[in-house]
Amino acid sequence: MKVSTMEKYILLKNKLPEWINMITPTYTIFAPVKEEDLVFFKPITKPSEMTLAYSNAIVPPKAQMFHQTETMFTFTQGKNIRVNPASLPDEKIVVFGIRPCDAKSLSIIDPVFTNDFEDPYYLTKRKNAILVGLSCNQPTVNCFCTSLNGSPASPEHLDILLTDIGDKYYVELNSEKGKQLVEKTKKLFTPATDADSKKKKDVEKKAVDAITRQMKINNVDAFVKKLDTIFDAPYWKTIAMKCLGCGACTYLCPTCHCFDIQDETTLDKGARIRVWDSCMRPEYTLHASGHNPRPERMNRVRNRVYHKYNYYPKNHQMIACVGCGRCIDNCPVNIDIIDVITKAGEVKP
Amino acid sequence: MMQTTQVEVKKKMKKDFEPNIIGFLCNWCSYAGADLAGTSRMQYPPNLKVIRVMCSGRINPIFVINALQQGADGVLIGGCHPGDCHYERGNYLARRRYAILRELLDYVGIDPRRVRMTWVSASEGKKFADVVKEVTDEIRELGPIQQLKRENTW
Amino acid sequence: MVNEKQLRDEVKKLVSRDDVKYVIGYEQGTYGFQVTPSFAFTPEEAERFIFSPLCANNLSVYLMLEEKPPLRKGEKEDTRKVGLVVKGCDARAVVQILQEKGLKRESLVIIGVPCTGVIDPKKITVKFPHQIKPVDVREEGNHYVLTINGKNQKIPKDELLFEKCKQCEYPTPVIHDVLLGDEVKSTKKEEYKEIKTLEKKALKEKWEFWSKAFDRCIRCYACRNVCPLCYCKECIVDQLSPQWIYRSVNRSENTVWNLIRAYHLAGRCSGCGECERACPMNIPLTMLNKKIEKDIKELFQYVAGVNLEEKPLLAMFKPNDTEDTIL
Repeated sequence: MKVSTMEKYILLKNKLPEWINMITPTYTIFAPVKEEDLVFFKPITKPSEMTLAYSNAIVPPKAQMFHQTETMFTFTQGKNIRVNPASLPDEKIVVFGIRPCDAKSLSIIDPVFTNDFEDPYYLTKRKNAILVGLSCNQPTVNCFCTSLNGSPASPEHLDILLTDIGDKYYVELNSEKGKQLVEKTKKLFTPATDADSKKKKDVEKKAVDAITRQMKINNVDAFVKKLDTIFDAPYWKTIAMKCLGCGACTYLCPTCHCFDIQDETTLDKGARIRVWDSCMRPEYTLHASGHNPRPERMNRVRNRVYHKYNYYPKNHQMIACVGCGRCIDNCPVNIDIIDVITKAGEVKP
Repeated sequence: MMQTTQVEVKKKMKKDFEPNIIGFLCNWCSYAGADLAGTSRMQYPPNLKVIRVMCSGRINPIFVINALQQGADGVLIGGCHPGDCHYERGNYLARRRYAILRELLDYVGIDPRRVRMTWVSASEGKKFADVVKEVTDEIRELGPIQQLKRENTW
Repeated sequence: MVNEKQLRDEVKKLVSRDDVKYVIGYEQGTYGFQVTPSFAFTPEEAERFIFSPLCANNLSVYLMLEEKPPLRKGEKEDTRKVGLVVKGCDARAVVQILQEKGLKRESLVIIGVPCTGVIDPKKITVKFPHQIKPVDVREEGNHYVLTINGKNQKIPKDELLFEKCKQCEYPTPVIHDVLLGDEVKSTKKEEYKEIKTLEKKALKEKWEFWSKAFDRCIRCYACRNVCPLCYCKECIVDQLSPQWIYRSVNRSENTVWNLIRAYHLAGRCSGCGECERACPMNIPLTMLNKKIEKDIKELFQYVAGVNLEEKPLLAMFKPNDTEDTIL
């Protein structure tokens, strides 16, 4: 799918609303919308509804592919039992203004929904979505994507990346999908010059330099292996002491993808639904027998770290963390993944 | 002219609307009162669906909220008169819970008139019939509940 | 504000005692204006303890979070005390837990801190969004003095204080074994201005306001877990049989969850505002709790978490309780 030589264009800032208006009839556009000091990805009908001066959305755009509540099928009860599969949406969507880190998170969770079983609910939406990214020119305090080989202005994992370089956007087309989207509206775009490319590089460098918090681990791969040796370290207990066991970190994590399946019914009909679940809750691993393999908070906190930095790299060859900093921002007791990982690197096996 | 007819239509619709009301009645007084109303052949609206509980003190606020969620347009709680509770204090405790719940519902924008409480003793068949009439009329006037109800879009 | 040396000395004295397991306090957080809970098992660990106007967390939540794994054969239960640093509102939560017999008084050692108000982290991060290095914050009269990159900045207290602190009636812990510093007397009175304004609005407006807020809820239950008084063994939302509240995240279920959470704290909420601080979606949860607090004050003349001898609000009654709306 990826285009080998990336096409680069320029879109003037004042042309952006026009471009969005042109694609609105064909696509449902999800864009950052401000509400109560928070930014959400919401469907917009006109460009004025969105805000582009934002750091990142509070709920990651994974929610657009992997809905918090998803009806899998419906059924009727009683004598005439019938099962009706839920209709899968075929609407084409554009996620506009997605950050490179969040786009990476979608590539990270793709294997979960494709490897053993092709999950139709996630995949239909994923396939119908075009990711139009916006480079992160002003990373926030807790951004650390560069610690995990990411960049605030990387077009990787995106279909199109826009970078704000003053009065215009530097547009990089990174896939067929992205090319097609621009193709139809070609008249708004002009080819980028070398000066523009240089400008983009400068902007990127400035953003990278603005990321000051880093995980202090020398070698990521070695760290993944190191975790195998410190599984039983008392260290995990000390960080888990202050964990409250809420789900803020996992629900707002762009790579967390666990769900629970439940039946919701009335007297004569019902639906099987799937909802986000969080491994920070004791119920998550509770067996019907009453046995709980992760009985203590320590087990659960450790599992969150291990799943992202040890199990996932072993299974899918990638770290399941993109460095967006949401879990740090939203933890009520300041459990800070940068700090947790840095200190875990210092623990003696 | 046009407007008046619209108002009339609306009024008529409200009249046609038959509310669903859930009654949580205590075993010892209100339920017996309802029984008496029935055996005395008193007429009262059939909109009330009764759930018998042992005591009004048994009623958890989630019962009330859940009833509204599942499609009830109103809830009536019936208990013994103060001082008459079979368990001495159950109705007093229910009274406190009810007062707080009503205020809370009002505060989030759910009409508190949808949740009512009454004291009916085992001998007050007439009062029971009157209360049910009053509550049903009031909730009919309010119309179907718009908030809280589960959409069950599936 | 509290002399930190005095605090550390007190904690050191406590953890050296044989009958004290550990002491819960605050330490410097990992970035910016963060302060994080800290557990001192040894006198050395007590060196980390701090107390500043940034110490917003209500640490009494950890009393009920303590995990007690099943005892092995021959093992005896650890009955040593737990020490705790409390502010005024935190102490009320402790009183409430004791009143409900959630804990025994003799299992606690309470270090009271007379509180002059704490800073709302949301307000301060709006002012200094890019602050990464820890900042020293001191209180001087009606101002906070922040030392950022060696420079002092003076900010009026009112701009940074939590709303709850502006109307706090119990700044000195109502329960304590040790009190650090002098008692702070409050002349403030909770007036529930915001609540009263909302109450007066039409039902439709009120529903619009709340449904918009509840629509944002992602049901992470941070509000529940951060609350010192939400300590049911099994929360009503986790219950499966009967399942009162469905797991679906939609307006109906979200509303019910938020109403029931607030209701379960009726007459118990100490007003520490942790639920709202923890909420990632900025739902004004204290406005629900405060509403109930106001009602019970008016209806039953009851204030939660002030008197250890009193019975819980919903476990008692007065024969002349309100009957206004009863048919």
